[in-house]
Amino acid sequence: MSTVESSTSTKSAASEPAPLEIHDLTVSYHNKPVLWGIDLVVPRGKLIGIIGPNGAGKSTLIKAAMGLLPLNSGWVKAFGEPLKQNLTRIGYVPQRESVDWDFPVSVMDVVLMGRYGRLGLIKRPTKQDRDIARECLDKVKMLPYANRQISNLSGGQQQRVFLARALAQESDLYFMDEPFAGVDAATEAAIVTLLQELKSKGKTLMVVHHDLPSAREYFDMLLLLNMRVVAFGPTEQVFNAELLQKTYGGRLTILSEVAEAVRQKS
Amino acid sequence: MNTFIPPFDFHRVIVSPWTADLASYGWIMLMGFFVATACGLVGNYLMLRRMALVGDAISHSVLPGLVIAYLLAGTRHSTVMFLGALVAGVLTTVLIEVIHKKSRVKQDAAIGITFSSLFAIGVILVSQFASKIDLDQECVLYGEIGSIPLDMPYVQLGSLVLGPPTLVRMAVVALIVAALILIFYKELLVSSFDPGLAFALGINATFVHYSLMSMLSVVVVSAFESVGAILVIAMLILPGATASLLSRRLPVIFLFTVVHAALSSVMGVHFALWLDCSIAGAMVVMGTALFVLAWIFSPTQGLLRRWFSRTQVEPGETALQHGEQRAVS
Amino acid sequence: MKPSWRIQFALCALILAMPSAANAAKISELGDTNLVTQAIRFFTFQDPAVRYALLGSMLLGITCGLLGSFIVVRKMALVGDALSHAVLPGVAIGFLWNMSKDPVAIFVGATVAGLLGTVVVRLITQTTHLKEDTALGLVLASFFAVGICLLTMIQRMPTGNKSGIDKFLFGQAASIGPADLKLMAVVTLLSVVVIIVFYKEFLLTSFDSGFARAAGFPAQLIHYALMLLLAFAVVIALQAVGVVLVSAMLITPAAAAYLLTDRMSRMLWLAALFGMMAGALGAFCSFLGPNFPTGPFMVLSASAVFALAFLFAPRHGVANRWWRQRSRAQRVQRENTLKSIYHVLEARESKGEGVSLRELAERRRETVEEAARQAADLHRHELATLHEEGNLIFLTPAGWQLACAIVRNHRLWELYLTNAAQIAADHVHEDAEKIEHVLGDEVVRELERRLQYATIDPHGRPIPGFAEMQRGGNSPDQPGESIGYGKR
Repeated sequence: MSTVESSTSTKSAASEPAPLEIHDLTVSYHNKPVLWGIDLVVPRGKLIGIIGPNGAGKSTLIKAAMGLLPLNSGWVKAFGEPLKQNLTRIGYVPQRESVDWDFPVSVMDVVLMGRYGRLGLIKRPTKQDRDIARECLDKVKMLPYANRQISNLSGGQQQRVFLARALAQESDLYFMDEPFAGVDAATEAAIVTLLQELKSKGKTLMVVHHDLPSAREYFDMLLLLNMRVVAFGPTEQVFNAELLQKTYGGRLTILSEVAEAVRQKS
Repeated sequence: MNTFIPPFDFHRVIVSPWTADLASYGWIMLMGFFVATACGLVGNYLMLRRMALVGDAISHSVLPGLVIAYLLAGTRHSTVMFLGALVAGVLTTVLIEVIHKKSRVKQDAAIGITFSSLFAIGVILVSQFASKIDLDQECVLYGEIGSIPLDMPYVQLGSLVLGPPTLVRMAVVALIVAALILIFYKELLVSSFDPGLAFALGINATFVHYSLMSMLSVVVVSAFESVGAILVIAMLILPGATASLLSRRLPVIFLFTVVHAALSSVMGVHFALWLDCSIAGAMVVMGTALFVLAWIFSPTQGLLRRWFSRTQVEPGETALQHGEQRAVS
Repeated sequence: MKPSWRIQFALCALILAMPSAANAAKISELGDTNLVTQAIRFFTFQDPAVRYALLGSMLLGITCGLLGSFIVVRKMALVGDALSHAVLPGVAIGFLWNMSKDPVAIFVGATVAGLLGTVVVRLITQTTHLKEDTALGLVLASFFAVGICLLTMIQRMPTGNKSGIDKFLFGQAASIGPADLKLMAVVTLLSVVVIIVFYKEFLLTSFDSGFARAAGFPAQLIHYALMLLLAFAVVIALQAVGVVLVSAMLITPAAAAYLLTDRMSRMLWLAALFGMMAGALGAFCSFLGPNFPTGPFMVLSASAVFALAFLFAPRHGVANRWWRQRSRAQRVQRENTLKSIYHVLEARESKGEGVSLRELAERRRETVEEAARQAADLHRHELATLHEEGNLIFLTPAGWQLACAIVRNHRLWELYLTNAAQIAADHVHEDAEKIEHVLGDEVVRELERRLQYATIDPHGRPIPGFAEMQRGGNSPDQPGESIGYGKR
């Protein structure tokens, strides 16, 4: 509950309104607050990591930002308008465990789902949608697996399929929930390249991340979260021992991790 | 409609079962109480272990066990019936495990498939041998608790009349269940709450699991004749669910379970007398009413309290219409 | 586990066979006691009396199969169970509406009750700490109890007793009339159309509802639409299947289809087909005897289909999986035998001769009989030839090649573990024992490259190379090729 430091510092310079603007957002679960008074203005074209301890509300934040959870207070705007009017400009990569991988669909079917939002109700995917889906699969090097059933994939491959689906959404703002969790090194590298590529095209990406040392490497900006926004700003400004300790509290294991991360930095 | 809902005759509905007709309704109330107590106590553990629907499955699948045991042994002796039910109960849990583990069918579907198949076998057998087994299809569903007092000859201990044999058997089962829970309270609690810890403490979780399933089968089969296959589920779940809305401490929950069992069986008899309907059904309806009351008025998590606490926190503007409340991680 | 299945199978067979044997004489008024002729009469719609029953049963099977597919993949099978029990009070109230079995009134009452049940389940899980299974059980049994009370009250009334409303408990296909059939056709058509039109939406929300909502689909609305259709399906199935078992018609055909395919669209087709088959078969069985409830027979037919799929599905079936495991185990066994033969020859440091059974047995620490069995297996797979009444084993070129490959895999892996993973040389054998059978060609090549084509394993033994493998077997039939073991 201490003072919020350097949050909402970066105002978007471009004339277009910020991709994401969150004001006074509070979310609670069973009458216990999970997020409290979040204020956030996210600039365009940045790769942003959301980090914080377990239970800090990282996933809750992106879910609430997409309107998947009821809010106790506050509002969310995407590209200057209420969220609902810009849903097709928002892409989502949920946690891999959130779906049943035994589900009877092929890799292609899953990626095509990325097109559904643009199609709207009733309309079927066209040939053009299939072409786009195929392109996206190719980008994550999963095209040879297009007709596989999804349960026959490794963890890294499943994550690539989810990314391909997000690519197929052709959005401007992406929310990704732990895309690096449980993937192999090759996939991790591929994802990082992909994120950089998306960023260079002017997309904004908000990525929930749990590994501190790599967070410093991967992201332009960091959002340190622990129920409240502890800090939000460019990585080099925010990634310091004091703020990290504030985010993670005094827990020993985390502290040593932080110390290690800071030591590596200097 | 007048014939459908009879007028409320205070003397007939409220007074007579405690006075003139105590000889018959007393036994029925006692039976309801013992059934609900035994079921409710076991049911608490089922709910703790997220296995409420395995109870559902077993309550259905003891039917073929009963019928086949009877057809094989040719007697309705309770040992034979218990044995049949035990085999059926264990078979059910094993089948569910096998389907669930050996194929990609999920546990919920495995439960559904198993108990419906076994129950179907039971029903067909009953329909074929109804005259022989003295059990008709309707009784399978909602039991014949009303015929308890006619169950002759009453069990006697010396000159002391203990009651109809079915009732005595149920009472013994209920007492044994209560005793087992008292004796193995610690083991059951640990293995339900944290199987990993139980393993570390040297408690055999599989053994506890199958003991509980056996206990469940025995309870279900002794309740079966009185309340039938489906109302047994209500007896398993309602008392514990109601109690757990009122307290979060297991010993207190057990106490409330017993209170709920007593209240619902007494109220059920009055209710059935008034409307002249199935007594077992009426007991469950009353149990449900108690549950609804607890749901609304529970001091810790009742709807009323939720409503009030919501009005205290000032309701903010919701940016989007809310969807289902998923687990917040 | 297998015996229990056999028991159930035997029971199913017994029960399916029993009625035809015991009651065939009762039904056939034409003196036709042959089961086959009866079946032909039944399924060709010749009897107007059974026409409605059969058509209705097939329609309900289709609807239940289609909608059941979605609840199976959504892991909501027991929601279907709760919903189907919860309709009972609705049936009773629908009957009370004008004291008759008016299909529309009962349909409306039952649908409302069923939906109310699912709403209450959701309310309980949202507002209390009670888990979903508890809530389902609660709703199922409570609603059913209310239904039972109403039902017993109806039956005590003068008109109630003859109403046939008790048939709703276990189902009687014979009670399906033209009005019921019309309703069933409408509901089936509606379900098919809705599923075709909104296939995309149902698929997406079933697979990943979070993503669906983020993409702007009204997942909640689609959920309740599905619940509504499900309630419709349950209600039209009530008369024939009965309240108690109708959930099985939702779950079982769909689960069988789930085992047979990896695509949702195919699963829907199959489930509809299985549902239809189960419906028709169940109706047929119930017509064979005077007092046969239809529901249980339909459910058993569906269970039989499921059991077949469970056992014999091409990819997910138990039998197939067992067979694959067995053949894998046999292959491993053969490869181990070949490896032992290689070891014997290697230790001998002499020219290629046959390996005797006794040597093999000693090497593998087994009995001679066991070694003979293994040698015969090698012979069957043309990996070895047997001489001197089967006492002497010679490897064929193919056998020799495989033996070299296994030994190479083993030693490469040991070397890799000691070099790359820095595991002590005396700890790597166990791991290599397992891995040698599964290393693919590509991995082996990669290993060789990484180990810079090393020729000696951590224990100082040579790793057989390509040339060694091409040397051919030690068979006396190929004299030029059969020499050279132990040569470095």
